Amino acid sequence: MRRELDITANKIDESALLQRRELAGDMGAVVCFLGVVRGVEEGRPIAAIDYEVFAAMARRQFDLIFDQVEKRWPVASVRLVHRVGRVAAGEPSLWVETIAPHREEAFAACQFIIAEMKRLAPIWKKPCPGASPPS
Amino acid sequence: MVDSSVRIRVHFYSYCKDLTGCASVSECVEPGSRIEDLLQKLFVRFPKLAPAQKSLLVAVGVDYQGADYVLQEGDEVSLFPPVQGG
Repeated sequence: MRRELDITANKIDESALLQRRELAGDMGAVVCFLGVVRGVEEGRPIAAIDYEVFAAMARRQFDLIFDQVEKRWPVASVRLVHRVGRVAAGEPSLWVETIAPHREEAFAACQFIIAEMKRLAPIWKKPCPGASPPS
Repeated sequence: MVDSSVRIRVHFYSYCKDLTGCASVSECVEPGSRIEDLLQKLFVRFPKLAPAQKSLLVAVGVDYQGADYVLQEGDEVSLFPPVQGG
C-alpha cells in the first residue's frame, strides 16, 4: 500500500495533491476528504485555530493507523496531510485520500483513518477568537 | 554512595503546558517506579495539573503507555490531554 503523510505548517495545495495521484487500472474508487476550519466554535465566531502537534509521536501513530488499514482492506493508497500552526477559518486543516478497488473499502478506510486520528494522533487545537476572515 | 534513582524527562503538551507553566522538566524516581508514581510526584510539584488527572494521556517516547509502565533510565515521558486532530 502506498502511504504518504505530511504534517505541515504550509497551506494544503489540493491541486498539487491531485496531480500526484497514482491510479492503477484495477482501482475503481477514490475517496477524498477535506476538513475545513469552521468560523464558529461553540456558538462563537473564531478567526482561526492554532494546531499544536507532537510530531514524532503523530508520525508513529499515523503509521500504526495505516498498518491497520492495510490489514483490514485492500486499499492501494493512503495519503494524508494535516496542517499545524495557525489555520484561518475557512481554510482546510486536513486532507485525506484513500484509493481502493471498490467504494465500500475506500469509504470505510477513510472513515477509519479520521476516527483513529481523532483518538490517537497527538494533535491539539486552540481556537483564536475573532471574526472569520472574509471569503 | 551511588545515586540509584532513575532520571527521566517529562514533556507537557497543550493545556498541560499551561497548567505547569513549562514545556518540560527533569524528574528522578526510585527504581521500579511506575508512571502512576511519577504522576503523583508531578501533582505535588504542579498542583494545577492534579485536577486533570482523569483525562491525562501518557506516552513514553512515541508510544502510549498505561499507569503501570515501569520507568527506565532516560525515558522521555509526555503528558497531554485528549487529542483533537482534524
